[in-house]
Amino acid sequence: MKKRCVITGLGIVCPVGNNLEESWNSIVNGKTGLAKVTSVNPEGCYADLGGEVFCDSLPAPEYDRSARLCIKAAEEAIHDSGLTAEEKSRAGVIVGSCIGGAVSIDEYMTAQKDGKEDDRRIPNMAASSIANHTAAYLNLNGVTANIVNACAAGTMSIAYACDLIRSGEGDLFLAGGTDPFSSLAFAGFHALHALSEECCSPFNHSHGITLGEGSGILVVEEYEHAVARGARIYAEVAGYGVNSDAYHITAPDPSGQGQMDVIRRALASAGVKPSDISYVNAHGTGTPKNDEAEFLSLHTIFDGTDVSISSTKSMTGHCLGAAGAVEAVFTVKAVSENILPPTIGYTEEDKKALPEKAGDLDFVVNESREKEISLAMSNSFAFGGTNASIIFSKDKHEMPETEKDKVYITGFGKILSDASAAEENVAGITLEMKDFTERGVKLGIFRKLDKFGQLQLVSGIDAFKSAGITVTEENERKIGTIIGTSAGPVTEVSNFQKNIVDKGCTAGSAFTFPNTVYNAAGGHFSIFTGTKGYCATVANGTQAGLQSIAYACDVLGKGDEDIMLASGTDEGSDMVTYFYRHSGINGSRVLGEGSSTVVLETARSAEGRQVHKYAEIAGYAMTHSAGANSYSETDALEAAVRKALANAGMEAGQIDRIYAVTNNHEQGDREREALAKLFPGKTVSDSRDKTGDCRAASANALAIEAAQAIDASEIGSAVAVSYGCGSYTAIVLKK
Amino acid sequence: MNKEEVAAKIKDMLVENLRIPEELLEDDAELFGGEIGLDSVDSLEIISGIDDMFGVNMTGVAKENFRDINALTNYVMENAEA
Repeated sequence: MKKRCVITGLGIVCPVGNNLEESWNSIVNGKTGLAKVTSVNPEGCYADLGGEVFCDSLPAPEYDRSARLCIKAAEEAIHDSGLTAEEKSRAGVIVGSCIGGAVSIDEYMTAQKDGKEDDRRIPNMAASSIANHTAAYLNLNGVTANIVNACAAGTMSIAYACDLIRSGEGDLFLAGGTDPFSSLAFAGFHALHALSEECCSPFNHSHGITLGEGSGILVVEEYEHAVARGARIYAEVAGYGVNSDAYHITAPDPSGQGQMDVIRRALASAGVKPSDISYVNAHGTGTPKNDEAEFLSLHTIFDGTDVSISSTKSMTGHCLGAAGAVEAVFTVKAVSENILPPTIGYTEEDKKALPEKAGDLDFVVNESREKEISLAMSNSFAFGGTNASIIFSKDKHEMPETEKDKVYITGFGKILSDASAAEENVAGITLEMKDFTERGVKLGIFRKLDKFGQLQLVSGIDAFKSAGITVTEENERKIGTIIGTSAGPVTEVSNFQKNIVDKGCTAGSAFTFPNTVYNAAGGHFSIFTGTKGYCATVANGTQAGLQSIAYACDVLGKGDEDIMLASGTDEGSDMVTYFYRHSGINGSRVLGEGSSTVVLETARSAEGRQVHKYAEIAGYAMTHSAGANSYSETDALEAAVRKALANAGMEAGQIDRIYAVTNNHEQGDREREALAKLFPGKTVSDSRDKTGDCRAASANALAIEAAQAIDASEIGSAVAVSYGCGSYTAIVLKK
Repeated sequence: MNKEEVAAKIKDMLVENLRIPEELLEDDAELFGGEIGLDSVDSLEIISGIDDMFGVNMTGVAKENFRDINALTNYVMENAEA
């Protein structure tokens, strides 16, 4: 875990510029990118401003705008970093997004309204497609993931790329975030009355947000790797933290506890004090609730220091899943050029009123300033209560080392559909209020849940119960959650979008909107259980249900958490059914839905609690194929299995059974052939014949089945492996 | 539209849009406290629902008018254009 992570390339496209130079010039000169919106119709809405990207050279028109913005920024970052085609081909892609393919969903439904079926849009609808499409377009074959934790996603993606480097899963990542301007977000924030009529005015008028769009991509690279190829180093990632408020699905905790906790986590992981930080790029959305809570957090942590603070959202607008990444680009530039970006929009009168709120803290007003900056922080606070904080350092900065403990499965819960009850090849699960009442869930929470959230809550609560976990003030910060999904909350997104397409942007539902973000299910779970540790949702095809386990193990390795829940959850919906039928990718298999959760726990914690250990996670690995013939998906599958075995210190011959969720079309035959070659004569188990294809839930359930078989001494070891969006995750489990 | 019809429509909206179980929705059941426990986001949905159904704008209207179905119904009856 001693590896250092440096930033060697930057790429950006956002409302203040179509590249790094343009964008940074605008920021330094305090130029706004906000104006009347053109890409959505604000007719009848009380607000009509936004920050849009006007760029004729966005590549890959076949993809969703989220991927196109991402590819544009990634191309610049690759060029800026001086990577050769060969070096680049090994890079991974970790992208944050809030709304995923909302623009494609809008376009699809708008065409449908006019009597046209535009099926090409369907594969672009899920956030799962963004990293995959970016990797395919640029031929990148490292680990991919889409982190879909709303407005904290961009910051978390950079942090996760560092986790992957530190645990040896890659040397080079394109990490950041992307989100397009969309009717979904515009109508949603409008319904919540969270849009500002004027340009957003963070830490000043605080009347609401102005939405933006764009993408920021950073080349995050292992230090020795960067030095060996003679790369220019902008800054080093000094530390980071991620946590959950466990307070409210849209509003921040007014006490600022979660925000302060995540800032302290980042400081501790960097081994520095508040007074070491020269600049904070604040979340600073400009909503009254955010600004009030954030003022409180900043005062509590930084009063008495020389820190300078600004919100660049005053110029770019709130770019949602791209926000943390766009702001990370600006923060890295601030560190490397010793320039403090401003918060713009203060009148003379506003300036006079500022000291009352700012106190002694230095808020950079209207104009950028020079300042020697050695360490700078960027903060992001999201819907669902997810918070993230990251620190960049100008100088060499080794993060304190943490000792990696063994990880065990100490509990699980699952709810999967029954394939034998399928109608027209689709099997669903019906949950009622009583299913929640008997699990201690009150109406106030049940009412707020969509199907995706219901399934997640049930499997999560059952997993907690199975592992005998009680959340207390002592352990609430030591328990976290990673949820993997293929398609996320499709039903809620479709319903919300359909309403807007039919009736316009005034018809957004304030009740539904919070559930259209992929991490709402994780947020509801965290609120119900009171768990305040790491919280992430990963959209990355079916295998996300296993990738969540690998992700959770990396989080446990960092040492802030003792217990991590790793889930796979996918719901059925008309849209998913339509897609599977028309594309034929499911073959004759029943399409199911469900959620599966395993409790992962460090040996120290499990032994301290004297809890039953079902199996050890002995090793894991993630791989990705961009689809080129030179490194096919089957090659990636083999590589995932081989790497996981190597990490476990085991040979293929020592594995007793294989649990695999393979493709349902001809690629599945190749995958099963490869597994038969790797593990001659071994049984390959796949329970989707019983449950239907519950996608990420089916992938996660493989780990439960393996752990149960190991616990029952049927076998001594197993490999669980799954496919999805060109990626593969393999997990080795043993007694 | 008479009072009963208005109340019935409001009740349907609360069941449909806010997923409140119908059996809890007596006309005098407190909406923002007790068992039902609505919050500020729910109130936005109610305002939007009432506006859609009756053309009555309840933005900024005093809290007591949201107390229960009776209060909402009275407000709509008093403020709807005939």
